Amino acid sequence: MSARARAGGREALVIARREVLERVRSKWFVIGTLLGPIAMLAVILVPALLAAREEKVVKIALVLRAAAEVAPAPGPAPAPTPAGAAEPTAAKPAASAPSAALAKELIAGFALVGWRAHVVTDLEESALLEQVREQEINGFLVVPADVLGGGAVTYQGDNGTSAPAMARLERVVTTVVQHRRGIAVGITDEQVLRMLAPVLITTKHTTGEAAGASGMATFIVGYVVMFILYLAIILYASNVMRSVVQEKTSRVVELMVAAVKPRALMAGKILGVGAVGLLQLAVWLGMGFLTLKYRDALLGLLDITKTGGVSVPPLSLSQVAVVLIYFILGYFLYAALYAAVGAMVSSEQEAQQAQMPVMTLIIIAIACVQLVANDPRGQSAVVLTVIPFFSPLLMPMRYLLGGAGAVDLAVSIGVLLVTLAVVVVASGRIYRVGILMVGKRPSARELWRWLRY
Amino acid sequence: MTNALEIEDVVKRFGNHVAVDGISFTVPRGVVYGVLGPNGAGKSTTLRMINDVVAPDSGRIQVLGLAPGAAAARQIGYLPEERGLYPKMFVAEMVQFMGELRGLSRAEAARRAARWLERLGLTRWAKNRVQDLSKGMQQKVQFATALIHDPELLILDEPWSGLDPINAEVLRSVVEEARAAGRTVLFSTHLMEQAEKVCDAVCIIARGKKVLDGNLAELRRAAAAHGRIALGFEDAAAKAKAQAGPLADPEIVAAVRAPAAADSQELVVELRSGVTSDALLAALLAAGGGLRRFEAVTPTLHQIFLDIVGDSAAVAERRDEALS
Repeated sequence: MSARARAGGREALVIARREVLERVRSKWFVIGTLLGPIAMLAVILVPALLAAREEKVVKIALVLRAAAEVAPAPGPAPAPTPAGAAEPTAAKPAASAPSAALAKELIAGFALVGWRAHVVTDLEESALLEQVREQEINGFLVVPADVLGGGAVTYQGDNGTSAPAMARLERVVTTVVQHRRGIAVGITDEQVLRMLAPVLITTKHTTGEAAGASGMATFIVGYVVMFILYLAIILYASNVMRSVVQEKTSRVVELMVAAVKPRALMAGKILGVGAVGLLQLAVWLGMGFLTLKYRDALLGLLDITKTGGVSVPPLSLSQVAVVLIYFILGYFLYAALYAAVGAMVSSEQEAQQAQMPVMTLIIIAIACVQLVANDPRGQSAVVLTVIPFFSPLLMPMRYLLGGAGAVDLAVSIGVLLVTLAVVVVASGRIYRVGILMVGKRPSARELWRWLRY
Repeated sequence: MTNALEIEDVVKRFGNHVAVDGISFTVPRGVVYGVLGPNGAGKSTTLRMINDVVAPDSGRIQVLGLAPGAAAARQIGYLPEERGLYPKMFVAEMVQFMGELRGLSRAEAARRAARWLERLGLTRWAKNRVQDLSKGMQQKVQFATALIHDPELLILDEPWSGLDPINAEVLRSVVEEARAAGRTVLFSTHLMEQAEKVCDAVCIIARGKKVLDGNLAELRRAAAAHGRIALGFEDAAAKAKAQAGPLADPEIVAAVRAPAAADSQELVVELRSGVTSDALLAALLAAGGGLRRFEAVTPTLHQIFLDIVGDSAAVAERRDEALS
């Protein structure tokens, strides 16, 4: 018995070696390994570069509603500002003077962030919308007469989806309105400015174990690791499927299963492709690490000024181990699924359709990334990182963000291992029967029968 | 010594279709054995079961004294009906790879692969990819993958299909060599004429069932003992006279087969058992003669097959061939 198992292992290794050689020798492997990270870098850097270069002037119109239109309602206005501060503005006669000052300050404030603002009067909203449509202006800001008393300012514009632009707008309007409120309650200019001086806050990420690193950098590292895992797993696991289909279409499969057990063939294939994947992953992670380490120098080459002292949190040995464990287990899980899919179909085109259920699992995992990243210790992160089809992508990220402890890891890996065992057995059975089938794709009922052969 | 192959009451179903229905036969060592039958008779399924590619539903298979599986596979060389190689592999590595899978060490497999490529005239192409070779050369590489480990049992599924004349000659010499070395060759074919030239023994199957099996020479003798004689007449009148006379006598003649063309003066006569050809000749001469030809026919495998399976199988065969 053990001699037979050993022979099967030897055959699986011979097959794995063939798979490795066939891939490593192809010129696409070399190109992909070296250019993959460069392409990834380009995906990240090019938009940033473009955004940095495209600092175009934003033009907006200011609409200041006349005070006469709105009778300021003292009291009930839901004031976001401390209660009491709003009351003195009820003085009606002063309405037009502050609004002129308000407009002047807004224009000056927008000019500071590179926006050009101008006051318009007597224009209906439809006319302003028309101007936006004609791209004469980017948008318009409507300031109600009771703005100092808590009235809502509205902005409509074509840059409404841009988070940085809206943050700027908010900052300018808030500062100006608060300044005017200060004047209105009678404190001096200097006092107001002192009050409004920015508060410096730096945020660091820590979960108590080690000295905190920059939160943003930690997030980026977690995200990049997740992305690389996703790419590697999907690339190589689906490569197993393609390889199975090619054996069918080139008809070499009958020669193979006459010489070795289908189990050894599947095992050898998954091992061989996986070894190549691991090699490529190591190269990519290495390059990614170097890129982050020498990021400032790289950005300098690209003519971008230093973005501030963001330090890269060094990956510890345990973190690297977790990434590798999940890559290997996740790869095996998805490779076994893909091998079964490959055995079920007889052409590449069919394979594209048949892999949809497996793809869906991965897509769901990717869609849940934000849930884990936003709150690595939260309830949804805990649940998601236990689900075996998601954990290979989500758990390394959660661990890097410090959301998972040893117990979480053990539970997640345990569930993953059990699932892996079940999937490998089931896929092996489907593979064994399906690999010799040509023609129609099996129905769900036939698949069930294959499982019980 | 054990037989090369023992098949006992083997059954294989695919869904509701019974592909192999209780087939039994034995192949002694050192014999060239043909599994014959029309397409769809169950030949390939039988060979696949021997190779452990599919498992029988019931019955027993012994290959060189072993159950089908890993140990038996090391002593089997297999040329599947569906020829196929890894298109991107180098020729020498492809052959070496199959040798390693059949149990050779890597060094030994490399040595033997080089030898086989030289023998088949492929040394120049050893470092080319399989996909860059012509179809005929790929067939040779396929032979090498089946032979590299000097298998005790060589299994060839429809070896002549798609073979060019040069490779048919290579195949013939390979089979001869194996026979001379005392190895066993098992092949399947629907080409009875080809089988007749190389087989020592055959098993004929149709629709999943065995029709007959045995030593080819013995089968022929047994069929010839039935007494089959081809007759040719001078003219239609002489033929008609003979048909009305001795050929209509059930004491002498069991059956008369007329050729398809109505104006032919040829007939094939099957004698009743126990009646000699001399007796028929005497009766024909007594009835007026007019003979141009009188010849005892040695039955071909095809005739033996038709005699036993009957016309319905022949029709089925023609239909199958039209489909395939």
